Amino acid sequence: MTGRATFALTAFGLALLALAFVLQGAAADPVWLIPRRLMKLAAMIVGGCAVALSSISFQTVAGNRILTPAVMGYEAVYLLLQSVLVVTLGASGLTLWGGSGGFLLSILFMLGYSLTLDRWLFRDGRADLWMLMLVGLVLTMVIGTVTQFLQLRISPGEFAIFQSAAQISFERVEPWRLLVSTILFCVICLAGWRGLPALDVLALGRDQAMSLGIDHRRAVRRLLMLIAVLVAVSTSLIGPTAFMGIFVANLAYALAPGAGHRLTLPMGCAIAVGMFLLAQLMVERLFDYRTTVGILVNLACGVWFLALMLRQRSMI
Amino acid sequence: MILLTDIGKSHGTRAVLSGITARFPRQSLTSIIGPNGAGKSTLLMLIARLAEPGSGRITLGGADIARISRAEYARRVATLRQFPAIELRLTVEELVAFGRFPHNRGRPTAEDRRATDEAIAFLSLDTIRKARLDELSGGQRQMAFLAMTIAQQTHCLLLDEPLNNLDMRHALRIMQALRSLCDDLGRTVVAVIHDINFAANHSDQIIALKDGRLHSSGTVDQVVTEAGLRDLYGLDFHILPRPHGRLCDYFTPKGEAG
Repeated sequence: MTGRATFALTAFGLALLALAFVLQGAAADPVWLIPRRLMKLAAMIVGGCAVALSSISFQTVAGNRILTPAVMGYEAVYLLLQSVLVVTLGASGLTLWGGSGGFLLSILFMLGYSLTLDRWLFRDGRADLWMLMLVGLVLTMVIGTVTQFLQLRISPGEFAIFQSAAQISFERVEPWRLLVSTILFCVICLAGWRGLPALDVLALGRDQAMSLGIDHRRAVRRLLMLIAVLVAVSTSLIGPTAFMGIFVANLAYALAPGAGHRLTLPMGCAIAVGMFLLAQLMVERLFDYRTTVGILVNLACGVWFLALMLRQRSMI
Repeated sequence: MILLTDIGKSHGTRAVLSGITARFPRQSLTSIIGPNGAGKSTLLMLIARLAEPGSGRITLGGADIARISRAEYARRVATLRQFPAIELRLTVEELVAFGRFPHNRGRPTAEDRRATDEAIAFLSLDTIRKARLDELSGGQRQMAFLAMTIAQQTHCLLLDEPLNNLDMRHALRIMQALRSLCDDLGRTVVAVIHDINFAANHSDQIIALKDGRLHSSGTVDQVVTEAGLRDLYGLDFHILPRPHGRLCDYFTPKGEAG
C-alpha cells in the first residue's frame, strides 16, 4: 500500500504546514492573529478541497486528464456573472448582493452551465476530447471578452471590486460566507459519498460502466451538478483557480498510481490545501506581500500544464 | 434465452439494422458474422442496452429488457466492448474485481473475492494477476477484460470482436474459454467474430448479417456453406472437411491459385 503511505506522509506534511502557518510569529498578538489565521486556514481547506474534488471527478466524467471545470469555462461564467452584477447593480449592489444573493445566484448559474454542458457535450457519452477542449477554450474566450466589454462600462472603483473577486485571495474571507460554504461543502461531500465506488467504475468508460450496471446518463448528470456547486463554492470563497485543478489532479494520480478515488480524492485535497498554505506563507514571509497567492499558484500550475501538454501530446 | 423481434435501428436517415428477428438459445455459443458495416456490433450493443433500438423488441427470458433496471441487467448480462480503455493503471486483479460491482456496489465480500479468483484461474491469468494493465500485451489485456466479464457471473455474455488484434494462440485460448463457459458452466455466449474459421469451428449457432439485414441463421452446417458464404462476403470459398471440424478457404480465389 505505497499509495496509502504517501498519503499519510502528505497529510503529515500538511499538518506541519498548517501549524507553521497559524503559529508563525503569532506571539506578537495571538488573540488577534490566531483567529484570523484559523479563518484563512478554514477557507483554504474548504476552497482547496472543493477545487480538488471537482477537478478529479470532472476528469473522471470527461475521461481524460487535461480537462477541469476551470478549463471548461465554469470560472469564466462566474466572472461574467460578477461583472453583470457590477454593471447592473453598481458597487454597492455587488457588496450587498455579493453576500448571500450573489452566492446563491452564482450557484444557480453554475448549475445551469453544468446542465448545458451535460445536454450538449456529454449527451451520448462519447464526447471527443479535442471538441471539448475547443469548446472550453472558445467559451472561455467569448465569456472573457464579454466580461471585458462590461468592465469598460464601470467606474474604477467598481472595477477594483470586481478585480478583487477575480483573483485568488484568502484576505476577503468573511465569517458568514465561510460558514455557508462549509455547510454546502459538507452537504456535497455527504451526497457524493454514496457514489464514490461508482466513480471508480465510471473511470472505465461509458460502455464498461453501463455494462456494470451504472445508469451512465443519470450518474454523469448528478456528478456535474455536484461539481457545479463545488466550483461555485471554491470560486466565490477564494477566487478562480485556473490551472490549479489540473496540477492537483495529476499530482494526486502520480503520487497514488492506479489507486481508486477513495485515495486520489483525499490526496488531491491534501495537495491543494498544501499548495495554498505554501503560497500564502511565501507571500507573507518571502515576498512580503509584493506578490499574490494567485500569481504564485497560477505560475506554478501554468508551467505544469504546459509541461503536461508537451509530455502527453501523444497520449491524449 | 434472448429473443429479438423485428429489430430496427437507424443513424439519422441511414438504416443500420432493419427487420432482425433472431433467437439466442440458452447455454449455447452464438457467433454473429458478416462483412464490415453489416451492423453486427450495433446489434450486440442493442442487446447489451448500450444503445436503444429504433423499433422492435428484445426479450430476456420472456421479459422486455427495456423494463429491467440497469443494475439488475448487469447481474444477468455482461458485455465486453471492442478496444476497452487502455490507459488505466489498474492491476489485472483490480480490473477483474470490477466485474463484481453489479453484485456488491463497490463493497467487496469474501464471496466476491472468491469469484474474482475463479475468473482469474479460469483464464489461467494467475501469473499476471499483479501486473498493471498498461504493462501487458494486447492479448493479455484482452484476456484480463474477459476475466472481468466472467467474474460478473451472468447467465449471458456479449462479446464484441473478442479476437480482434490477437495472435492465433490468444485467439484460440479465448475461443476455448468461451466454449468451456457454455459447456461446463452453462452460460449463454454471443460473440461478434470476424474470423470465419473460428466461428465455424467453435459455435453452436451462427447468425449472419449483411447490409443491416439478417442474411442467414441457424446451425453451423446450415449457415457455413460455399454458396451461403459467397453470397454473404462476395468471395469464393472452398469448405474443406477436417476430422474435427472444417476449414473455410478464401485465401486463394479460383483461377489464381497455382
